[in-house]
Amino acid sequence: MPFELKIPPPWRSQGWKVKVRDRERVEPPHVTILHKTTAWRLELRGGEFLDREPDPGRVPHQVIDWVRQNIEVFRSNWDRMYPENPLASRRPDCEDDESQEK
Amino acid sequence: MRAKRSEMSAGMSTELLSIEPKGQARATLLLINAIRLRIQQDVQEAFTRLSQGVWVAASKQAIRLLLESLPHRPSHQDMRVLVLESISAPNLNLLHAHFRFVAARETGVKFLPSEELSGALEAPNRADLFIGGQVTRPDLLLYRGNLEPLTVPRSWFRARGGGPKPDFNRFAVTDFGQTVRLGDYEAAADAILYEFDEEYRTRAKKRLREEDKSLGGAIRRLRLQKGLRQSDFPGISAKEIARIEKGLVKEPHATTLSIIAERTGVSVDQIHTY
Repeated sequence: MPFELKIPPPWRSQGWKVKVRDRERVEPPHVTILHKTTAWRLELRGGEFLDREPDPGRVPHQVIDWVRQNIEVFRSNWDRMYPENPLASRRPDCEDDESQEK
Repeated sequence: MRAKRSEMSAGMSTELLSIEPKGQARATLLLINAIRLRIQQDVQEAFTRLSQGVWVAASKQAIRLLLESLPHRPSHQDMRVLVLESISAPNLNLLHAHFRFVAARETGVKFLPSEELSGALEAPNRADLFIGGQVTRPDLLLYRGNLEPLTVPRSWFRARGGGPKPDFNRFAVTDFGQTVRLGDYEAAADAILYEFDEEYRTRAKKRLREEDKSLGGAIRRLRLQKGLRQSDFPGISAKEIARIEKGLVKEPHATTLSIIAERTGVSVDQIHTY
């Protein structure tokens, strides 16, 4: 089951959604902000947008602020859903992933 | 039709063409930005002028007009058609003779709800959205917004530990074509295309703000995309895979790359595309 935190009004009624789905591109950990036919990936470690396109400037700042306010909830759910690629696994100075998987 | 004449003459982009015969009470699918073809001459001109197009026939009258207006000889242009009403098998075969891709509700394909279907067809990124699909025995057949089919093995939709199993009896496309739903299980269209379309993968990588462009980074993304652990490569230790992914081994041995390619089901040449 995807993890979706219901975004507050008026954004929900305008079609905005924020999800972690059961099958995502797993690297790097992120949430997907969806609005109709467009999606933005927001990285969960630093809270920044992953891609140049589509233009992150099209996402209302209230939506971005709401995601960042709830980032710990998204982080914990990402780790629950993707234990093979947890948030802690790709720090520059991290140990091998394998040691964390055990 | 006339307002769009110059675009059609250019024939450069893939136009969206909605067949909406005169006298039809209202469009059954609301396509605001499509070229409207209302009479036989419009359809015939479109066949003559355009080199590529995505056609939509959403009513029985539209299908009739299209069938009555087909050229005598099938063209070799890149035409695709979406048929949203019932059509006989012979007429469907006729469309297959004239169009490169045919997606038809009649054949059991499940499409997005009307509003979302319109949105996906009119989106600039329609090729990166799924408008519908059909469950077959070995594969899931999906149609992109440009009507190109894509087959995805059912086995790719693996359940996560503790997560829901994909239920192929409850297949649907949702989120304006951005999500494939299998019961309680959801897969991102982005993840499917990244896995099964190398051209999409190349474009997706270009869109990244910053990226680890090393071979090690590509191997890590490939391994995670395939759901493998660092210890899942026979003949290569987990420690060695970790060293490669971290960039501590700049040029992995050819044998090592062959093992990684074989285990992940890609060619050695494709590894760097991940």
